[in-house]
Amino acid sequence: MKLKVASKILDANDRIAQENKNIFKEKGVYVINLMSSPGAGKTSLLETTIRNLGGKIKVGVIEGDITGTDDAARIDSLGIPVVQINTGGACHLDANMINEVLNDLPLDELDVLFIENVGNLVCPAEFKVGENMKVMILSITEGHDKPLKYPLMFQESSALIINKIDLKSFLDVDVEKIKKDAASLNQPIKIFEVSCKTGEGIDNWVKWIQTLIS
Amino acid sequence: MHEVSIAQSLLEIAINNCKNNGFSRIGNIKVLIGKASGVMPDALFFAFDGLKADTIASEATLEIEEVPVSGFCNLCNKDFTTDEKFILACPHCDGLSYTLNSGRELNITEMEVF
Ligand SMILES: Nc1nc2c(ncn2[C@@H]2O[C@H](COP(=O)(O)OP(=O)(O)OP(=O)(O)O)[C@@H](O)[C@H]2O)c(=O)[nH]1
Ligand SMILES: [Mg+2]
Ligand SMILES: [Zn+2]
Repeated sequence: MKLKVASKILDANDRIAQENKNIFKEKGVYVINLMSSPGAGKTSLLETTIRNLGGKIKVGVIEGDITGTDDAARIDSLGIPVVQINTGGACHLDANMINEVLNDLPLDELDVLFIENVGNLVCPAEFKVGENMKVMILSITEGHDKPLKYPLMFQESSALIINKIDLKSFLDVDVEKIKKDAASLNQPIKIFEVSCKTGEGIDNWVKWIQTLIS
Repeated sequence: MHEVSIAQSLLEIAINNCKNNGFSRIGNIKVLIGKASGVMPDALFFAFDGLKADTIASEATLEIEEVPVSGFCNLCNKDFTTDEKFILACPHCDGLSYTLNSGRELNITEMEVF
């Protein structure tokens, strides 16, 4: 016989994401899902952010990569609790992967948990993991056409970090166009221009994070 | 792409629905896939066929209906539908402020059970 069903295929993911969210809320942890294409500077941003905070806020990190532990080692060397997830091929983190590592983090002690998603400008935006907000990084070496070519991530993110602005004078990139297109795709998006290398602009971003969790 | 995780969830939902209703085999499954969902039907078929073996869905088939991207433009106040996978701007006025009404679906609508 025929059964009528009306199920969203991602319901299971959304349900686990909500479970994660409840746990984070109960533990008082603010969770940021950090997304970008490979190499835009997610781990670098975490390193500078952690240094800039100087322990004022207790930070934890979940690193998502297809394979390898390099990123987790970079965070670990700063004395920050970190868990590495290897997705084994999957192009994004999903709620269940996060759920499975929650016991490996000292959630009771943390104020903020950064989840560094797999480097990919498309898929991570489709999967909730239980975060309070999504933040994306676009490095200016990727070009100013990206907001209009990959609109979903710009639409899903609460903030856009434009990274590697120290390289501006070497490139023919129109940073104003990035800002304009991102804002028209997502009017309330917060935009920060930073260099993880020189530290320029990091202050504003870190101040904003502090206001969100206080 | 992430068709394998989508196929895994699809299979779990179908199997649960089948068992909860007291049946033991699954036949055809109808699925709605929005063109802007980022899911490629061919990759989904492939992933589904790989995962269904040794389950009560081992003989199940997928019937995919693609849903075009449609929405409403907040600038020219018109509805639009397009064959494109992603909409970057309103097809009428090129405006960037619009609300999507369809195109991101990933739903199971109907399934055959025995
Ligand atoms: N010039 C310059 N280089 C930067 C900046 N931020 C990061 N980089 C460099 O960009 C490269 C990639 O940085 P990562 O932080 O590893 O990038 P990621 O997004 O974490 O990369 P994946 O995790 O592999 O996706 C490294 O060589 C960094 O040193 C910046 O602001 N300016
Ligand atoms: Mg990294
Ligand atoms: Zn219009």
